[in-house]
Amino acid sequence: MVIPEISNVQINVLGSVQVNNSPSDSNQSRGWHGSLQLVFARQREATQLIHDYGKAPLKVQRPFYPEGSEVCHSAILHTAGGIVGGDRLSLNLELQPDAHALATTVAAAKVYRSNGLEARQIIQVNVARGACLEWLPLETIVFNQATYRQEMQIELAPGASWLGWEMTRFGRSARGERFVAGNWRSHTEIWQQGRPLWCDRQWFPGSEKLFDSPHGLAGCPVVGSFAFVGQPVEPDLVEKARALWDSHSETATGEVGATRLMSGFLCRYRGSSTMEARQWFIAIWHLVRTHYLHRPACIPRVWQVPRC
Amino acid sequence: MIEQSLLRLLQLASPALPVGAYSYSEGLEFLVHNGRVFDRGSLQHWLVQELCYGAVRLEAAVMVRSYRARGQGNWEAVCAWNRWLSAARETEELRSQSWQMGRSLLRLLVDLQPETAGGLPARLQEEGCNFAIAFGMVAADWQINLREAVLGYLHSWSTNLINAGIKLIPLGQTAGQQLLLELNPVLEQMTQEVLNIQDEDLGTCGWGLALASMAHETQYSRLFRS
Repeated sequence: MVIPEISNVQINVLGSVQVNNSPSDSNQSRGWHGSLQLVFARQREATQLIHDYGKAPLKVQRPFYPEGSEVCHSAILHTAGGIVGGDRLSLNLELQPDAHALATTVAAAKVYRSNGLEARQIIQVNVARGACLEWLPLETIVFNQATYRQEMQIELAPGASWLGWEMTRFGRSARGERFVAGNWRSHTEIWQQGRPLWCDRQWFPGSEKLFDSPHGLAGCPVVGSFAFVGQPVEPDLVEKARALWDSHSETATGEVGATRLMSGFLCRYRGSSTMEARQWFIAIWHLVRTHYLHRPACIPRVWQVPRC
Repeated sequence: MIEQSLLRLLQLASPALPVGAYSYSEGLEFLVHNGRVFDRGSLQHWLVQELCYGAVRLEAAVMVRSYRARGQGNWEAVCAWNRWLSAARETEELRSQSWQMGRSLLRLLVDLQPETAGGLPARLQEEGCNFAIAFGMVAADWQINLREAVLGYLHSWSTNLINAGIKLIPLGQTAGQQLLLELNPVLEQMTQEVLNIQDEDLGTCGWGLALASMAHETQYSRLFRS
């Protein structure tokens, strides 16, 4: 950061791993202190995972190349099943110039009811010039009474791009649970050369009132966001993203919207179905890929969903 | 001195301040259109939720930062918070609103006090100055007490949206005034909270507003610009 006065807005100084990995930390911070570092580099025509270091419960599967050598697909695993209060998970992804990586997760993430401590996941991403990261994790299920904070900090070099989504289910709604107590935050900030491109500070303090309010969840347990950042976007593309929803909307239960960011665009979903959100997001992802990345969407095999 | 700062606050927070606030509904126009806001009670609910968890709370917290930075003569911080707030806006329409109102207020300041305006960094005007940033700067310049400036900011926002609600729902003028009175305790409570929010906790529970504002961007027939 060039501007010291605002540097505390960013929870992390880019490039440094803030989480203390020592197990003998203090009683206050019992829980997993997992970390994962991934470095992708473009070597000739291929994107290679040139460095990976995982500390339990985080690890990465062997990379796969379902669409040729240029795009490296990686699936991240949380081997402990879920996140509990006191956990500190730290992910650090670096993309060297012209690398193209797609990162996903092999299973939905679960954040369990808190034992009184906050669970925290910190994701730091550096994308060098000409590189592109596609950050497409499966959904997160936030149990009632969970206390969770995610901080995602992305540094984009000029000419780099990032696309990503986040889908969250508030409460195990299949068993009638609603997220009406606890606290959830998910902060995503994308910066370029000391300037913020997009700062998304999502917060949901669990309560019956907010869960049912049209201002909050309107009684719907699932929310999702899709964003593409790093290049200016024409209004036409946003209209196309909206139209992709309209083509589903006969049967859809959710509400959606799309808008332009200062450098990119953003889509939001609020409804009851992660499948519905994901299908729309996949359709938009395909749109962005064909428009900006000159390749069609390629569904990672770990998702096992029908292509729409 | 106390009287002077009160008079200046009344001027800054007045609906007559020529920044065009009356032309924005911040998603209310769509919410009335789709039936989510339909009477005094549902309007009150929306405004209270927005004040307690929404974008206006975040804006007010950034206004506080602009006020403090301006008070210290720290233009770097004013500009940095301005960029941050631009990047944090929910939608393009809300960002345009904030920039248009901010630009109008800066221009007014330049006209009213050319001597103060001389020190304004050019990039603040070039990059688009958010209304909350401009409001904080002017409040600091006019030596309005910070707590009162926050109350004034939130009150002025409430007045504007109640007026939008009166036109859209529609509601009677008296109902609007009752609603404004009933919001007083919320304004007091949120002022206290806004003054104490830490940077890492700046955030909004924003889906309702984001979806309403995104939908408003494509609403077929509109009276309001947001």
